[in-house]
Amino acid sequence: MNNDAVIETVQLSKRYGNTLALDHLDLCIARGAIHAIVGANGAGKSTLFRILLGFLPPTSGSARILGRDCRALTPQDRGRIGFVNEEHTLPSWMRVSAVIAMQRRHYPRWNQQAFDGVIGHYQVRAEQKVSQLSRGERAGFNLALALAQSPELLVLDEPTLGLDVVAKRAFLESLLYSNASDTCTVIYCSHQMDEVERVAENLIILERGQLKNMSAPDEFCARVSHWIADIPFQGPPPASVPGLLQVQRIDGLHHYLVLDQDEDFGEFLRASGARSTRSMPVSLDRAVNGFLAKNHAAPLAA
Amino acid sequence: MSNLFIAELLRFRAWALLALLAHLAVLGFFARMVDPLQQPLFVYQVVAAVYGLVGLLLGLYQMGGYRKPNTWLNLLHRPIPHIEVAQALAGAAMALLAIAVLLPLLLVIAAQSALTARVVDLRHWGLPIAAWAIACASYLAAACVMLAPRKSAVFPVVLLIVLMISDASGIWVLVLQAMVLAWLAALLACVFKPDLCAPPRRALGELLLGLPMLFGIWMFLAALTLVFQTAWMLFGTHPLNSTPPAGGYVEASRADGADLLLAGLDLATHADAALWREQVRLSEVHGTQVQIEEFAARQQLTNPMPMEFDDDTRRTRYIFSHDDLRFHGVALADGSRDGVLGVGGDHAAFDLPPLPLGRSALATAHAVYAYDSETRQIHTRIALPPGETLAALPTPAGESMSVLSDQALYFYDARSLANAQDVLAPRVRVPLPGAIGSLDRVDLIELLDGHLLSLVYGRGGIDGPGDSYQQLLMVDGAGRIEPVARRELSPDFPLWLRHYDWWLSPAMHASRRVLAHLFADPAPLRVRDPAPRPASMQLLAAALMLASLLAALWLSARQGLQGPRRWLWVAACGAVGLPALIALRLLHADRDAPVMEMAGDRALNLRATTLPL
Repeated sequence: MNNDAVIETVQLSKRYGNTLALDHLDLCIARGAIHAIVGANGAGKSTLFRILLGFLPPTSGSARILGRDCRALTPQDRGRIGFVNEEHTLPSWMRVSAVIAMQRRHYPRWNQQAFDGVIGHYQVRAEQKVSQLSRGERAGFNLALALAQSPELLVLDEPTLGLDVVAKRAFLESLLYSNASDTCTVIYCSHQMDEVERVAENLIILERGQLKNMSAPDEFCARVSHWIADIPFQGPPPASVPGLLQVQRIDGLHHYLVLDQDEDFGEFLRASGARSTRSMPVSLDRAVNGFLAKNHAAPLAA
Repeated sequence: MSNLFIAELLRFRAWALLALLAHLAVLGFFARMVDPLQQPLFVYQVVAAVYGLVGLLLGLYQMGGYRKPNTWLNLLHRPIPHIEVAQALAGAAMALLAIAVLLPLLLVIAAQSALTARVVDLRHWGLPIAAWAIACASYLAAACVMLAPRKSAVFPVVLLIVLMISDASGIWVLVLQAMVLAWLAALLACVFKPDLCAPPRRALGELLLGLPMLFGIWMFLAALTLVFQTAWMLFGTHPLNSTPPAGGYVEASRADGADLLLAGLDLATHADAALWREQVRLSEVHGTQVQIEEFAARQQLTNPMPMEFDDDTRRTRYIFSHDDLRFHGVALADGSRDGVLGVGGDHAAFDLPPLPLGRSALATAHAVYAYDSETRQIHTRIALPPGETLAALPTPAGESMSVLSDQALYFYDARSLANAQDVLAPRVRVPLPGAIGSLDRVDLIELLDGHLLSLVYGRGGIDGPGDSYQQLLMVDGAGRIEPVARRELSPDFPLWLRHYDWWLSPAMHASRRVLAHLFADPAPLRVRDPAPRPASMQLLAAALMLASLLAALWLSARQGLQGPRRWLWVAACGAVGLPALIALRLLHADRDAPVMEMAGDRALNLRATTLPL
């Protein structure tokens, strides 16, 4: 057991009928910093969070959160873990002031300053009902409530899903301008790579319930390279291309997105008939998308 | 917790106030039209069903909203125990139901007590509490339905059925309701947990959910006989829906009185049998049967029928009060008080609440009374011996009047009954050969010196287990009774069907009787003849229990149950049979298959996404 880990899973598996949502997942997330968890739909992110918070039993393996077995979380443990989901489920019939009063009573370490710091980014009035808030305002309100709880661990599960560009930017700014990363560990789950690139110090990629990567975003970007080759005829069979993530033919040029390949890949392309080759760095968005798309289902004829 | 409680109150406050006003308006309207406290049982049952529906809808809506995955997580993932969250939500719901159900009823009863001459007894104050308890129990059942594991979710509702089948009355109804409420509240606490798919973690929770499941599954399986019988009716050969089989109970229960007497006499070997056959053809056949299912119990919450009668001559309505056991008059013209009626000239209290039956006739379990409008008095006319219960009012039987009790048939002089005002002595007492609960009909003719009686037994057991028969008796003028013939009536239904609900699970069959009679007063008019179980049916029941036990051994191992919990389930399946086995299957999923390592390379084991090259 790692005492410095906020989340630790050992051989964690979860099966829904014939579908394996988590597949012997070994994950250890260190205390501190903002960690991003990315993965395609069905990668097991939400299942992981539900198991960690004790809302789903694992099929096998173990999971600990803040050092506690996730099946034995106490109310005090829950007070140390903030959770913001993509629906921002808040009681729509309550006034903002009533929600604040309720949370303040429930959370003994309520930090009004942290709340004010976040809610200041939004035009939210105390007398408004939650149902009268826009989706962006509700997201900001939810974040403010979560941060004011002074959690040791804050889980943000796709918090900007469905927000427009302005609301998304406001949410990210309110998160970044808060001192959340100084006071607690943040797990940020998102499909938006620009957000991940902006906030995360550690990138965790889940795919089909398995851990595929855990490193700084820059390190992951460095592992993925984009090669453009001028091959007059048919390129090498995809199965023979080392580390292939994606291949496309655009304007007569072959574009290869490959993982963990150095300059030798250029030699491989030239040996396969390329008249010229060129290597380019890729953005995090392209790298992650290429990585996640490689195992994505596609028609056999493609 | 108080914040959640208040938040939930505020959430539904508009609906609660609207319901209060609507409820008050409806009750007020009915109170202007009729006396809401003197309605027949059916009316109270319908109104109770409405209150139950209100509770059910509230529970389904409230918990249905909360059980959505993210909402549920948001509700329970906070630093307060789950039980406190449950208490806050359920407490608020019950407070809302108090506003919508309890308060209007109390106000209407208080207004009736203060502003009218109508009778408001102590028992009537229990009605709002009972109504509120029904609404709360329905709410809790619905909340459990929403939160219990999917396959066992419907079974908390079975606890409401316990309230429906119970024969308890008065304060015991409230006690039973309190027990059901406590059970449902405990069950809600057990299913109010983060993982909604899992069965209750603790043995207590499994017990609280498992027992209603056993009963509910048994009731469902027992109800399947209706499907079978409906299909039988469609084929056109069902005994109740076609020409009944000859010599059976259904035929006897539908036969003309004379034909029935003649059929019984066919087996008679008495020297006068031929003469009686002739007399049957020439005489008028009189008959009687059980007319009263139950009497009013002292301080029972509802009424079997309105406890009032009208004196049309004096334009007075007399309403019975359980508090002082006397009738209180209310003038129909202006609603003012108009005297008090008891028994006899000194208006003594009745010993039991009397039912107004027929024109100026009143009856308690032990006596028949007559109201005389001229003297404004009630007189005792027939008093049964101690320990006997009246089953039918005086019925003409030639020059006599017959009166049926749970133990005997009495003959009284018809002229004395019509003209005198004193307590009559019976001319003849004929002890009944069977239990009153099984007696279907009594047919008789007058002889020159006595009566020839036919008694058919088998009531309540058309498709049930009891034996049915016809007994003929001759009673002479001196009261001597002579058995004439006994005709066994053949069963109209197959043996397996008549004992179906028993062999399905003898334990559950007995449980149903226990639940129905829990806290209930003895019901002498429902006593039936014992129904012997044929050896073949006993063997079938035993085989089913043994098969359930063996199946439970296999199933519980497959489900991964261990220790005392497994052996308790196996024992339950052995004792209860098929319902327990089905409950075990529904409550516990099969153990998950072990998660195997995926074959091949984990990193790049699938083909790349490519475009055609």
